[in-house]
Amino acid sequence: MSDHGYPHEITGVETRKLGMWVFLSTEILFFGTLITTYLIFKGRSFDGMRLEDVYDIPFTSVSSFVLLMSSLTMVLAHNAIEKSDQERTNIWLLSTALLGAVFLAGQIYEFTEFYHKGFTLDVNIYGSTFYVLTGFHGAHVFIGVVLLLILWGIGVRQEGLSLEGGMNLEFIALYWHFVDIVWIVLFTVVYLI
Amino acid sequence: MNDPHKPHPTPKQYVQIAIVLGVLTAIEVALYYTEDIVGIFTDPLLMILAIGKFVIVVGWFMHLRFENKLVNRFFVGGMILALFLFAIVMLERASGNYF
Repeated sequence: MSDHGYPHEITGVETRKLGMWVFLSTEILFFGTLITTYLIFKGRSFDGMRLEDVYDIPFTSVSSFVLLMSSLTMVLAHNAIEKSDQERTNIWLLSTALLGAVFLAGQIYEFTEFYHKGFTLDVNIYGSTFYVLTGFHGAHVFIGVVLLLILWGIGVRQEGLSLEGGMNLEFIALYWHFVDIVWIVLFTVVYLI
Repeated sequence: MNDPHKPHPTPKQYVQIAIVLGVLTAIEVALYYTEDIVGIFTDPLLMILAIGKFVIVVGWFMHLRFENKLVNRFFVGGMILALFLFAIVMLERASGNYF
């Protein structure tokens, strides 16, 4: 959004933008709860398979890299719309949605592989917490991809987007980057440690 | 309001930031495969790298470092509450009372 302030707002911040940050703050607590629940059971012994028996670090690393790069394309879309460059905005928006879709496809493939190897949702409580945690993240990515595609569609149909609309590119960008930072934590906590 | 004294990065700088993020991810994966060599330092190093990536994305891509203090307080407040919850649950786990 532009660099001028909002003197007519008591807070000095545009209300919609502040609302978005408050929403993200509640999302931190949501994922914080899920991560905490997962960590309660990580490292404990249970009957049945564990994630360590089935996961594929190189594959998940590539997925993580794809999601990280989608944050780059998202911020480039934001930069382009600030310069009123509609063509680049649409290109970067679509690129972000495609990278998000690639990440989602990877997660679906990974879950399917895990399932066939016996690491199912009900294998043990550790498995359940893994699927709930990563599944909710995947659901957030899916919602983000849908929002990006809707925004891209609006941009194409209306021959351009603006930062003043209700469904604003900046708010969706904030949501998308948030989804990325959650995965940064999950990749380390769930897969690497 | 955004801080007018801190200009947002240019597209070239955003690409440079993304390269740094990619390199940090590569180091994380390398650490995972060299755990036998790095030993007990592996997990702390992985946490430091994750925190570094987190701060870079929040600060530069989400522009939090250019934002109003109130916005920063909301975000940091959420983080503190989540970490507080985490600490309480882990203390309970360690005490063996419920888990």
